Amino acid sequence: MVRNTSALVGTTQARPGAFGFLTDTTLCIGCKACEVACKQWNQLPMDDFGFTGRSYDNTGDLGATTWRHVAFIERVADREGRRPTRLQPFQSNWLMFSDVCKHCVNAGCLEACPTGAIIRTEFDTVVIQQDICNGCGYCVPACPFGVPALSPLDGKAHKCTLCYDRLKDGLEPACSKACPTDAIQFGPVHALLDRAKVRVAELRDQGVDAQLYGDLALGGTGGIGGLNALFILTAPPEVYNLPAQPELPQRRVLPAFLTTALAALALGLATLLTFWRTEKEGAHG
Amino acid sequence: MAKMGAGHYRQASVQVVNTEMAPGYYGLPVIHGPHWRWSIVFYFVLGGLAGGSAVLAAVAQLVGGYWARPIVRAGRYLAVLAVLPGPLLLIIDLGRPERFHHMLRVLKLRSPMSLGVWGLIGFTATALLNALQQVAEDGLLGRRNPVAHALRCLPTRLLAATSALPAFFLAGYTGVLLGATAVPLWARNALRLGPLFLCSALSSAAAALSLLIGHRPTARRAQHALERVEQVAVLGELILLETLRRSDTVVTRPLREGREGLAYTGARVGSALALVLHSIAKLLPRSPHVWLRMLGSLAALVSAFLLRAAMIFGGRRSAEDPVATIAITRKDTGSPSTAP
Ligand code: SF4
Ligand code: SF4
Repeated sequence: MVRNTSALVGTTQARPGAFGFLTDTTLCIGCKACEVACKQWNQLPMDDFGFTGRSYDNTGDLGATTWRHVAFIERVADREGRRPTRLQPFQSNWLMFSDVCKHCVNAGCLEACPTGAIIRTEFDTVVIQQDICNGCGYCVPACPFGVPALSPLDGKAHKCTLCYDRLKDGLEPACSKACPTDAIQFGPVHALLDRAKVRVAELRDQGVDAQLYGDLALGGTGGIGGLNALFILTAPPEVYNLPAQPELPQRRVLPAFLTTALAALALGLATLLTFWRTEKEGAHG
Repeated sequence: MAKMGAGHYRQASVQVVNTEMAPGYYGLPVIHGPHWRWSIVFYFVLGGLAGGSAVLAAVAQLVGGYWARPIVRAGRYLAVLAVLPGPLLLIIDLGRPERFHHMLRVLKLRSPMSLGVWGLIGFTATALLNALQQVAEDGLLGRRNPVAHALRCLPTRLLAATSALPAFFLAGYTGVLLGATAVPLWARNALRLGPLFLCSALSSAAAALSLLIGHRPTARRAQHALERVEQVAVLGELILLETLRRSDTVVTRPLREGREGLAYTGARVGSALALVLHSIAKLLPRSPHVWLRMLGSLAALVSAFLLRAAMIFGGRRSAEDPVATIAITRKDTGSPSTAP
C-alpha cells in the first residue's frame, strides 16, 4: 500500500472533546453481537429474513434498520490471483469488519440536510433528529460512505446515533459494550487515535499490512477532516467496500455555483444581444 | 462474468477465480443512491421551463419594443404556470409530506436543497407579481378595479429585472444540487450540470414560448428573436452533452447503456434536431416554413425532458456501481487493488 501523503497519516481534525469508535478488524471474530445489541437497544425491526448466498453475511449493508453491519470477506485469492496456502496471522482467511456511521468531522449528510434535522451533538457525533426529518432523502446520496437510508416504515432517514441517549446517561454505546473481543472500542477520539497508532505499529511489527482508516490520508480525506469512527484495516479499503479517498460533496457547491453563474451571465448576455439586434433590425427595415 | 463450460473447467486456474471476483465487496454498491423518481424529473423540467420563460419575458420587457409584447405576455404566464406545480411535486416526493414546512426552519448556504427551497419561494413571488401585472394589463380584472390599477402602476421594468436573478437560479441550481452528492456520475460532472441545465432551460422555454405565441404574421419578429435564442442555447446544450458523455468513460457508463442511455441519446438527438431544423428553415427559400420550426421547438422540449430523466435515473444507476465509486475515490495510488 503506497501512500504519498505520509504527513497526514495518523492525524485528524477531530475537535477536542469528541467521542467516537475505534473498530479494530484484526480482533473481530464476526459474532455479530454488535449488530444484535444495536438492534435491541435502538428497537430496530429485523431485516429480511433470508440468505444472501454470498457468505456468512446475510445482512448485506448498512440501512435504515441496520446501524452496525458485520461484513465477511473471504480471501479467495490475492492480488496476483494466487490462492492462499498458509493461514494469515489473524482471522484465518477471513476478514471481518463491523461497519458503522463514520461520524465525520465534517459530515456530508449534515451539510446537505435542508431541514436542519441532522445535528452535531455535544459529543461531536452526528445525529438525525427524528422529529424534524421530513424524508427528503438528500442526506442519503450526500454521504460518501453509503450510511443513511430512508425507511419505508416511517419515511424518515435513519442511521447510527452513536447511542446518543446512552452517552447522555454516561453509558457507552450498545455495540462496543456488547463486543466480546473489544474489537469495537469507544472513547475520546484523541485517545482512540493514539491507541490506534500504537496498534498499527504493533501489527506491522508482526508482519501484518495494517493501516488506519479515518485519518487525513485515508478515509477522512477531501475536506472531511477525518472520521470520529476509526478503523484498523489489513487490506485496501475497497476490499471492505470503503472508499479510499472520499471527498466532502459540499466542497463542490461553491465552484459549481460559480460555473452556473458564468453560464447564466453568458446566456443572459446572448439573450439580451439577440433581442437588441432584433429590435435594431426592425428599426432599419 | 466469464462463463465456464465443461472444457474450461479442467483448465480453470486461480486467475479465473480472481477475474470472476467483482470489485469491492461482492460487487455491492459502496454508496447509497437517491430515491428520486418521476416527480423530481418533472419538477426539474418545469423549473427549467419556468426560469427560462421568466428570463425571456424579462429581457423582452427590458430591450424589446412593441413586437416583443407577445413574449412578455406568454413568458410571464408560462413562468407562473410552470412553477406552481413545483412545490406539489416536491412535497409528494417527501417521505413525510406533512412535514414539508420543516424546510423553512433553516437557510443553509452549503445545502443546495435548502437554498433551492428559498430560491423557489423567491421566484414564485416575483413570477406571481409579474403575472398579476400581466393579468391587470390584459384587462382581466376589469378596467376600473383599483387593485388592477395599482398592479398596472408597478414599475414594469424593475419587476422584470428583479425576476431575472431568481429565474436563473431556479433554472440552474438543480444541477448544483446533484453535483453536491457522492454519486459518481453527478460528482464528476458537478461543474457541468448547472450550465447544462441552464442551457436546456432556456432552449426549452424559447421553444415553448414560440409554440404558444404561434406563427401569425404579427409575431414574425418575436418568433425570430425566440428562434435565435433557442439556437444559441441548444448549441451550448449540445456541446455540454457531448463533452459530458466523453469526459470519463467509467463514470458516464449509465449514459451509454440501457434505458438511461437511450434517454440521453434521445436528448442529444433532440437537441441536434432542434438546431438542424431551425437552420434548415432559415436557409430554405420562401420562409417561414412553420412546420419545420414547430418540429424543431418540439424536439427541444422533448430533449429537455429526456435530459432530466437520463440524469436522475442515470445517477441512481451510477450510485449502484461500485467500480465508478472506487474509481473517483482513489487519488494517491494508480489503480486500486480490489482482490483481498
Ligand atoms: S458517514 Fe455518512 S452518515 Fe455518517 S456522519 Fe459521515 S456523512 Fe453522515
Ligand atoms: S431525509 Fe431527513 S435527515 Fe436526510 S436530509 Fe432530508 S430532512 Fe435531513
